[in-house]
Amino acid sequence: MRSVLGDRRALAVLLGPALLVYTLVMLVPMGWSLGYTFFKGNVIEGFTFGGFGNFEKLWHDSQAHSALWFTFKYAIAVSIGQVLCGYLLALLYVFVLRKSSAVVRTLVFFPVILPTVAVALMFQKLFAVAPQNGLANAALDGLGLHHGDWFASAGGSFVVLVVMDVWRSMGFYGVLIFAGLVDIPDETLESARLDGATGWRLIRHIVLPLSAPVLLSSVVFSINGTLKVFDSVLALTNGGPGSDTTPLTLYMFRTAFSYGDYGYGSTIASLLTVVCLGVTLVIFRFSRRDLTKG
Amino acid sequence: MTDTMTAPPRKLLPSLPPATVRRPRYARRLIRNLLVALLVAVELAPLAWLLISSFKTQSEFVNDPAWSLPGRWDLNNYADAWTTGHVGLYIRNSLLASVPSLALTIVLGTAAGFALEVMIWRGRHQVLLVFLVGIMVPSQMILLPLFRVYFQSGLSGTMWPLIITYTAVGLPLTVFMMATYFRAVPREMFEAATLDGAGMLTAFWRIGFPVVRNAVLTVALVQFFFIWNDLLVSLTFTTDDELRTIQVGLLNFTGQYGETAYGPLFAAISINVVGALVLYLLINQRIIKGLTAGAVKG
Amino acid sequence: MHKILRTRRIAVLAAAATSSLLLSACGGGGTVGGGDAKAFSLTINDDNHIVQEELTALSKGTCAAQNKALPLKIQTLPIGNVDQKVQLLAGQNALPVQFAAGGTPQLTKTLDKAGQVLDLEKTLKDLGVWDDLQPAAIKTVENLYGKFNVMPYQFNIEGIWYNKKLFADHHLTTPATYDQLVAAAAKFKGAGITPFAADGKDGWPLTRLVSGYLYRELGPDALQAVADGKARLTDPPYVKAAQAIADLGKAGYFGKGVGSIDYDTATQQFLTGKAAMFYMGSWALGDFNDKTKNTIGADNVGFMSFPTVAGGKGSADQIPANVGLPVAVSAKSYDAKVGDWLSCITKNYGAASLKDQGTVSGFKPHGDTGSLPPLTQTVQDTISKTTTSILWFEALFNTKATETSQTNAAPLVTGSLSAKDFMQKIQTDLDNG
Repeated sequence: MRSVLGDRRALAVLLGPALLVYTLVMLVPMGWSLGYTFFKGNVIEGFTFGGFGNFEKLWHDSQAHSALWFTFKYAIAVSIGQVLCGYLLALLYVFVLRKSSAVVRTLVFFPVILPTVAVALMFQKLFAVAPQNGLANAALDGLGLHHGDWFASAGGSFVVLVVMDVWRSMGFYGVLIFAGLVDIPDETLESARLDGATGWRLIRHIVLPLSAPVLLSSVVFSINGTLKVFDSVLALTNGGPGSDTTPLTLYMFRTAFSYGDYGYGSTIASLLTVVCLGVTLVIFRFSRRDLTKG
Repeated sequence: MTDTMTAPPRKLLPSLPPATVRRPRYARRLIRNLLVALLVAVELAPLAWLLISSFKTQSEFVNDPAWSLPGRWDLNNYADAWTTGHVGLYIRNSLLASVPSLALTIVLGTAAGFALEVMIWRGRHQVLLVFLVGIMVPSQMILLPLFRVYFQSGLSGTMWPLIITYTAVGLPLTVFMMATYFRAVPREMFEAATLDGAGMLTAFWRIGFPVVRNAVLTVALVQFFFIWNDLLVSLTFTTDDELRTIQVGLLNFTGQYGETAYGPLFAAISINVVGALVLYLLINQRIIKGLTAGAVKG
Repeated sequence: MHKILRTRRIAVLAAAATSSLLLSACGGGGTVGGGDAKAFSLTINDDNHIVQEELTALSKGTCAAQNKALPLKIQTLPIGNVDQKVQLLAGQNALPVQFAAGGTPQLTKTLDKAGQVLDLEKTLKDLGVWDDLQPAAIKTVENLYGKFNVMPYQFNIEGIWYNKKLFADHHLTTPATYDQLVAAAAKFKGAGITPFAADGKDGWPLTRLVSGYLYRELGPDALQAVADGKARLTDPPYVKAAQAIADLGKAGYFGKGVGSIDYDTATQQFLTGKAAMFYMGSWALGDFNDKTKNTIGADNVGFMSFPTVAGGKGSADQIPANVGLPVAVSAKSYDAKVGDWLSCITKNYGAASLKDQGTVSGFKPHGDTGSLPPLTQTVQDTISKTTTSILWFEALFNTKATETSQTNAAPLVTGSLSAKDFMQKIQTDLDNG
């Protein structure tokens, strides 16, 4: 039995190709990128060894610091927005709409699958002030709230960016968390109800703890996506105004391909990698402790 | 819209008379309906506006307010988007890049997921962890070396860089998700198969793959949208205008002489949106079922 | 046992494959193109309509034979992405036959060092068409690039174009000093007219105003001094120039949403009479002379050079002159067919662009140029009267400083970035460059 389940030939056939592709196209380049961090230059000019110069540069580079800060700010705002809206949607589906939730679920899920660039261009026009007020501005004006050019200030651009990304993805998280809530046994809910737990208390003491696992994987999934944000920023604000909405990903891309510095670009990419791994580990740590307590 | 998914076959909350006093039923229903209407409006209004605007002329864009209706309903903008905007070509390129890489990712990833979860051998947990790292590491980390390799090997200027990169980048998540699905399949099924004297490969083809067929579809869809919406990889590796994917094409969308052509641009976006909508209506049952089947639970 | 061997073998194979990949990657120089161009391809910024239209016209007319041998193929992209794209293409040895030189001469110099840029002086002399170039254009290119290696499809002066009718309606004379310019702007703003149309999305039309002010304040060497390290952008007189332009924005003289207005929209604002003034290079003559675009009429467009600043060292006859965003030719894809094309262009482009677009190029016009529109005549006269030509703001910057300057121009005029910080940011990039 064991020998069959551990058959090496089958193992090689099944796992080999995937592992090979993954190693060659991802693992090797990762190490290689780390190697680049000690060099200056690019493909066009050639490379020169620079020792730890790139790391020193990163330490003093105010643009990198603001990009890091923006990455965090964006990741926290959008992740909270995504998961919170998703959770509220899931509660709506399960407790308010019940059986009739299917149509709404379908509608709200739809923006998830739209091309990012298309959505970003749409939002650009929604919030435009020139040549004409876009729909969002027109609506705000109608409510008597006058807002100038959204994309002229760091704050305004940030708001539009977060609104867009939450709008786009809350349907996905709604369905994801809904899947977790549906699995809560009826008997549990019923007995809680008989004990007099309703509304908020029911959610707080029964639903929330029981949906903790799905919530955790949603948070991890969400953070992982938001830390690597690239396309929505590029298409919506192109990192502007100035470089106020430039996350690490975009800064790396520019450094490598506009300013022609592969070494420094790799150094920024390494920083981003460290951040991604670090944040995920922290979440897992934190959640494990929390779960044992609960 | 009748083609929506059915709720999982379970009795939802029983309507026991609750202990607390309620507001009258119709008031609750009103609040509920208002809430839902608002939600649907927020999700759909921008899309409706987009579609309406795609019929406007350039001067209507520049001179009329945003909510005004177009003067004429004709398909000129769509024709422009399709011809001078090359939307058709870009969609074809996106398909050329995504379909092969999707097939590769799914086949390799499912097999690897099976090997890692069903088979028993020393070191499998470590290998799974190594794959897990790939989910978290940003693509930026592999961009530059790949760029160099593709250039040196003469692959740039073809679709191969995209296909290879998408396949590799999609693998970690696919492997991980497939392993999770296989975990949910009772082991006895495979053990029974091997008792018949079949090898592991046969067990995989005869039982493993069919058992997780629905899951494969879900993963394929998730990956498809990843690839279809990718900008970073396609922006880096598509040099030729002829090879632009739809995302890069939209990003650089301009009229014949590079002027900003609002109408055709909106039409191009609408083509994308409507295409996605059609696809979605065909398969949304699958997506939501798959997600509900417990793929991504902790 | 043999199973173990088998896995070993796979491992060895994987290692071998990896190392061979590594080796091939470290092997340096890949394939060298060398005249396998399938098309006479041109990658150019999308707001440059003239060159595209003119080359298309030549390919259908005078150069039809060359086009048959090697068809013209144009790709456009936003001006902000030109540098990035050109470097990406160069990194893959995939440069098109012709490509817009970077937003900064430095990039072209870098590419030249890497052997990617064709030496046009040698090539055009070999082709026997060197004498078809305007000496002034040759000189301008050499000043910027150190040698003649770009095609001067355009030869431009820059200044402020204004709507004569609007000025007359509001009883204003052409401003001769900067203070008068500001006063005129205030009057227009009061009358509900946008004083200045400006493409803030790309940023360079705004930074051109900063350098315009600088040259009038400090004289024609203002930016050379920064390049030589004799002065810093953070010095008070330099910050003052940025502050002057920031003040125009603060007063609302660029209209609303200047950061989201692109080149075409700005041009349109001016040509439909919504804006009174427009800082731009003479390459815009194509649009000005185009009756469908210009609804205010070409005779209603006036030209003034950037006005003088009280107590400044510069004078109004020092005019920014340049070769637009010139076009370099890829050294790797040069062959006889490309040479044919280049000589056909050099011989015929000058007259054709004057005749069709009313724009001046760096090529001598031969034969029929048609009757010149008055605006074009004005530009011709101004060019011949120019004593000293000056450069634009970012001409001597590196790529990163250029991008910083242009992306922060809109924040500067909308007030979200102070003049001091704006200059500081650019100076930092210059120091690290």
